[in-house]
Amino acid sequence: MVSRAAAAIRTRPRREREQEVLVWPDLVFIEFISALIFSIALMVLSAMVNAPLLNRADPDTTPNPSKAPWYFLNLQELLLHMEPAWAGVIVPTIALVLLAAIPYWDRDTEGQGVWFGTKFAGRLTVFGFTAATLITSLLIIWDGSLHVVWTENIIRGLGLNSDFSWPGGLDWFRNLRGFDTGIPWESLGFTIGGFTMFEDWRAIPLGIPGTTTDPWLLNLNFPSFLSQQIIPVATMVGLPIAFVLFCKMLGWIQTRRDIALLIFSAFIGVYLTTTIVGTAFRGQGQDLKPPWDIVVLEE
Amino acid sequence: MANLERAPRKSFNDLIYDLIFKNYVWQSIFRTGYPNTPRNQMLAVATNVFLHLHPTRIHRTHVKITHTYCLGGLSFFMFLGLTVTGVLLMFYYVPSIERAYQDIQELEANVRFGQLLRNMHRWMAHAMIILVLLHMMRVFYTGAYKPPREFNWVVGVVLFILTLLLSFTGYLLPWDQLAFWAITVGTTMVGSAPVLGDESKFLLLGGFSVGPNALIRFYTLHVIGLPLVISIFMAVHFWRVRRDGGLARPL
Repeated sequence: MVSRAAAAIRTRPRREREQEVLVWPDLVFIEFISALIFSIALMVLSAMVNAPLLNRADPDTTPNPSKAPWYFLNLQELLLHMEPAWAGVIVPTIALVLLAAIPYWDRDTEGQGVWFGTKFAGRLTVFGFTAATLITSLLIIWDGSLHVVWTENIIRGLGLNSDFSWPGGLDWFRNLRGFDTGIPWESLGFTIGGFTMFEDWRAIPLGIPGTTTDPWLLNLNFPSFLSQQIIPVATMVGLPIAFVLFCKMLGWIQTRRDIALLIFSAFIGVYLTTTIVGTAFRGQGQDLKPPWDIVVLEE
Repeated sequence: MANLERAPRKSFNDLIYDLIFKNYVWQSIFRTGYPNTPRNQMLAVATNVFLHLHPTRIHRTHVKITHTYCLGGLSFFMFLGLTVTGVLLMFYYVPSIERAYQDIQELEANVRFGQLLRNMHRWMAHAMIILVLLHMMRVFYTGAYKPPREFNWVVGVVLFILTLLLSFTGYLLPWDQLAFWAITVGTTMVGSAPVLGDESKFLLLGGFSVGPNALIRFYTLHVIGLPLVISIFMAVHFWRVRRDGGLARPL
């Protein structure tokens, strides 16, 4: 029984010597030059820009905003839109596991060793990246309630209604938490037979008292659960599926490699967008702000 | 015809060449002559512990810059540079909350090229993360993770995580406000894990908040623990590149 990997190696055509070059000098030269360029570039950068050194660490003075190192700001950005356990741990863990699992799912050996090896690879990459970047930005704008501010400003600015404010009936659409605070959950109980269902949506009894000490398991706060867990998770699962279905409809997806290309490109888009927003567009209290309006206060 | 019996006169260049490359000491270090013939060029790669990471010959397409953009090699080069600058930084730095911040200030003010040294270490660390990410994208978009290279892709993902951890543990060491609060935010995220969250956070910090124990833990992980682990994974990574048939190329 030959393993799939061994078979893959064996099926390679025999090396054609005339297609080969010597590592010394051809490759070693390139490596040397690229190392040299990077050394010089970093030396110049280091001579011009100093590494930051702020005041001595002081546990009693909290900078506002406090930020993680830039490469974790995508996670810190997620933190603003969902339950911390999802944003800080579960989502990155699942993302990394899925990332590592790509080659075990896309096992076809066709199309390796060339850039964008399938027929529609270019389109899938551009579409995945652009659409994901756009949708992520829109979601961030929506959860930052910027659409509320903009709508109010535009309607006031046009002189249509000088003291227009976002209608109360649309409070649920202010941001993600709107699904929690903007819906009159108190009046949403209903009766089936003789039973009154969910008199209190914020404390739906789940467990038998005494079997668990976890308040979350005892009484489910459904509105909060909906806005902090169901909707974010459904978005993160649903959008990739929608992407795949859409591209399938267009006929761009023929192999698993195509799906991998689409989702990976979308992932890169989300990764970049959340990193950039978290780094440059989050001011005090993690409010959405343009980079030039961001001041760090120490409190 | 008498001339043929006499050996051709050596030019000055040949004399110098022989003097440098054909003496006892040189040949004890480098078994081959200067790599100016195909045979010596292959031997130079095969008999050198550093160069023998490479095969002696590779496919023509793989030396095209646009095939790899040297991203993996440059990530490794950043690691080497970080090791060198890191060792030098260790001469001037003591990981205690009384001294850490002051040591950095003194490094910048009193040590010749101290500021440059610290800057190099900082920017190389950022560059390494970006290069590793770009390298991952290169491997993905060229389909180089496909069989038989599945496992090496997994090793690569681990190396990416280790790179982030190395940078994260180094971030605390200057013990300034930036460092302190970034690590506070970062470890709070760890603490929100549904299972073993508080326990992992406590293990990482050696306490409930960022303090002297956290500093010494991060320092030890940064200068010895994680570099050892990442070296092992890098060795596997490079070894597997060779074992799995070099760089991917069309079947």
